Amino acid sequence: MLTTMSKEITEKRIQTEKPFVVYKKVSKSFGDLKVLREIDFSVYPGEKVAIIGPSGSGKTTLIRLLMTLEEPTSGVIEIDGVPLWHKEVKGKLIKADEKHLHKMRGQIGMVFQQFNLFPHMTVLRNCTEAQVKVLGVNRKDAEDRAKEMLEKVGLGTKLDNYPSQLSGGQQQRVAIARALVMRPKVMLFDEPTSALDPELVGEVLDVIREIAAEGDMAMILVTHEMEFAKDVADRIVFTDGGKIIEEGSPKEVFENPKSERLQSFLRRMRK
Amino acid sequence: MISINTYLELIPSLLDGAKVTIQVLLWSLIFTFIIAFIAGLGKLSKWMVIRGISTVYIEIFRGTSLLVQLFWIYFVLPLFGMELSAMTAGVIAMSLCYGAYASEIVRGAILSIPKGQYEAAIALNMTPFQRMKNIILPQAFKIMLPGFGNISIELIKGTALVSLITLSDLTYQALTLRNTHVGLTTEIFLSLLILYFFIALPLILFVRWMERRVQVGRA
Repeated sequence: MLTTMSKEITEKRIQTEKPFVVYKKVSKSFGDLKVLREIDFSVYPGEKVAIIGPSGSGKTTLIRLLMTLEEPTSGVIEIDGVPLWHKEVKGKLIKADEKHLHKMRGQIGMVFQQFNLFPHMTVLRNCTEAQVKVLGVNRKDAEDRAKEMLEKVGLGTKLDNYPSQLSGGQQQRVAIARALVMRPKVMLFDEPTSALDPELVGEVLDVIREIAAEGDMAMILVTHEMEFAKDVADRIVFTDGGKIIEEGSPKEVFENPKSERLQSFLRRMRK
Repeated sequence: MISINTYLELIPSLLDGAKVTIQVLLWSLIFTFIIAFIAGLGKLSKWMVIRGISTVYIEIFRGTSLLVQLFWIYFVLPLFGMELSAMTAGVIAMSLCYGAYASEIVRGAILSIPKGQYEAAIALNMTPFQRMKNIILPQAFKIMLPGFGNISIELIKGTALVSLITLSDLTYQALTLRNTHVGLTTEIFLSLLILYFFIALPLILFVRWMERRVQVGRA
């Protein structure tokens, strides 16, 4: 199976390479509410990590910090050894400006729970706009790349449609293509199937599986789909109460959960 | 046929007035919407000073009467050495007053765009300027249109006030005519009504056409 093959490649990279993303004692509070408590967490190049856990456990916030949608309250996140939210000035870390964030963010891509397609643009335009405006690709090349990715997610015939003319599953697949054309090194998925009607979940998960099998892009998936996480991920991270309670290979986590909290979470999910 | 002849006598000077009204209107429309975008975006700025300046401007010009603003700009500013022609003063006062109202339409429309749109634009690494220009404003513009239509029509009616700072606009001409043809009061004011409506009509149709145009792609 493709996934198994890619998993072996990833395993090799984890043993030989440095982690690409590193969280160091990262905390996040919204007012008095502590959402993340001193999280230490790493992702290796090409690694597929699934984050599972009850609602409100901080898993979405964890990836929103990496996409720079939310600023950490304390701690440092590094991408390829460079602090994301900070700049080093004379050996001291100071808060980064928009310019620094812009430079760093290009390495990260994200797929949202609510798709967030641009409703005033066609499917094709959704997938070319940032290539042209942000990456400076010429329109012709941008369109070729967009078409290739839209083909891959099975929407090669919907180029001129507007998002409102598509089903939720189709919209989410466009959103995946839109993120892919930017060639991120790490792709974040924030509960990509939670807003979908049950019969549309499969088509989106299949597309994500296929991308995961290609291997070279790291992925962090926040998901409630346990079977899918087991299939796709090299590593499962279980969060609860703003902390990482347990992590390990899908086999370890699902077949032999150590902590009581993970055991009871898995019991509830199976019901 | 007394009435046809009377109207023929009235129309030329009314049309002269209509020209002035249309001139004030077009200039005011342009500046109103420029000001509306500047003040509307200013009020959403992340810098407090810009937010403060925008707020003060909006509240002063929304909170006082257009007539008083006209008087200030035309009669009071010259006392401080700023002499303006009646046309300039009229356009400035109208634009500042209606710009303040329209800025709230701009602000409201921008705020109504879902947070997810900003986040998607950030995730694609667009700069703050690109997010606003390519993602938020095109969507917000559609929401602004009905409000802009209203403001434009209000503006046409507001132009009647410039007659009070000596501009010979449509209303001014009608009032002058009435002084010389007191017996024709009904005819004069009926013509006035119709002429104002015909000035407003293309504007109403234009806004309606724009609204239909931007519906593309929306559910």
